Amino acid sequence: MRTYVEFAIKKFQNKMAYRLEFFMGIVNTIITIVVYLCIYKALYEGKAEVDGISYAMTATSFVISLGLSNAFHFNEMFIQDKIHDGSITNEFLKPVNFVFRLLWENIGEGLFRVVFNFLPAVVFACFYTKLCAPYSMGNFIIMLISVALGYLVLWLLSLIIQVLSFWLFSVWGIMTIKNVIVNILSGVFLPLWFMPDIIKKIIVFTPFESIYFTPIRIYLGEVTGMEMLSKLSLQLMWIGILGGMAGVLWSKGVKKLVVQGG
Amino acid sequence: MGELRTMMQMLKMSFLTRLEYRVDTLVATTAVFVRESMNIIVIYLALLKFDKINDWNVDEMLFLFSILFVTYAFVVSIFADLRHFSDMIRGGRFDRLVIRPRGLLIQLILNNADLMASAGHGTLGIILFIVSAGRVGIVWNATTIMYYVGAIIGGILIQGGMFIFFSSLCFYFVELESVREILYWNMRKFAGYPISIYSKLIQGLMIYVVPFAFVNYFPAQYLLRKPDMANYNELYMYIAPLVGVVVYALAYVFWRISVKRYTSTGN
Repeated sequence: MRTYVEFAIKKFQNKMAYRLEFFMGIVNTIITIVVYLCIYKALYEGKAEVDGISYAMTATSFVISLGLSNAFHFNEMFIQDKIHDGSITNEFLKPVNFVFRLLWENIGEGLFRVVFNFLPAVVFACFYTKLCAPYSMGNFIIMLISVALGYLVLWLLSLIIQVLSFWLFSVWGIMTIKNVIVNILSGVFLPLWFMPDIIKKIIVFTPFESIYFTPIRIYLGEVTGMEMLSKLSLQLMWIGILGGMAGVLWSKGVKKLVVQGG
Repeated sequence: MGELRTMMQMLKMSFLTRLEYRVDTLVATTAVFVRESMNIIVIYLALLKFDKINDWNVDEMLFLFSILFVTYAFVVSIFADLRHFSDMIRGGRFDRLVIRPRGLLIQLILNNADLMASAGHGTLGIILFIVSAGRVGIVWNATTIMYYVGAIIGGILIQGGMFIFFSSLCFYFVELESVREILYWNMRKFAGYPISIYSKLIQGLMIYVVPFAFVNYFPAQYLLRKPDMANYNELYMYIAPLVGVVVYALAYVFWRISVKRYTSTGN
């Protein structure tokens, strides 16, 4: 465990070296926030509530989910690149589990972005518009756990596509399509409250809600008490399912790789 | 005429290169298409719930988007090399152009045309146009068609002019990726929506500094006449196609002045 945490810390420090990238990232996030908050404001047009959801709730949901989606961003071409240049074989020689190493490196990168992208963006948004405070201290703490679980759901979805690069020459196209589907159905740009009923019905059977929307609903107090625990267990269930799928694909892929290499 | 032949040759080479990788090209085109569709899907779903944004309904919004995509489809191929111009300077590839017997800008135009991106943006733009154009109440006659074509050409020239302008800055500052990124790409994010939803500062930037408003907003206003046009000078609608010519000409003059400063990064 200690070794893997080291990987996360290294990656965090690594990222600190690129100040320009960091600055660009913030500008990018802030501009996206401004664009969408202007859109929501225009959509609300002075209405206090739409379907029982206020503008402040929508704005809060958007800022949190966009911030998290930026923070949860990592190099999704990593495995493919490693396979292409053959260096993946070196990884197997090392006395650490490659997948766990990747997870912790990505977590390190994610934490970097939480500190240097998400938090500045939230501070900006607080000055820019009125956001909702957390429903209660308890909800806030549970929300942090839920965010971590949401991250794992997203990470496993990405891993499944990444592992396909054992079979496909390029997963870039599939990855792009996956990201669009995730961004829409997990409610990053349009909170799931406002989705057409038919889409809401489909989303229930997918892991997408578990990524950003569950933590947001806990934060806003839409979900409280024991219901929070059932939401968390739903997230855990998806982690189990996706983790299982990724595990099966990974071991098959590795076998295939060994056959190919001479 | 030699210039035109050079450009056509460049286009042909880009096309032939792409044909070598057929499957990859198809996948990349689809991915660009899907990626760019995201904002459209989001605004479409949002308008199913909210009906209107500053009095623009869903068809009018799609029409506004279509102009942005159709023009960009041309820009991304015609001015492809200017997208990574600072790399070109740093890598010394620009030196090769300097010693050839053709104008510098001519050699850059249509070179390495990003035809996959063009196909992705273009298909999306055309689909949006087909879906929306008949439903937004535009009377398509000789005047409106001429205006539309003019506005598209104008939009291409505005964005091309911006590409040339930012590329010219590379002669002064070698590392410029970031400024261009902030000004061009971030301002473009604002461009899909009616600019009247933004604060005065952003509106000013969109009209006078990075003139995306003339690419799609004012041309769409000429054809649609939405009430939020009352916030702006009516003249802007009529001059929209001409703005492109002016922006492009200014950028070209700036390029000519800047290119004289060029000293290779090598030794």
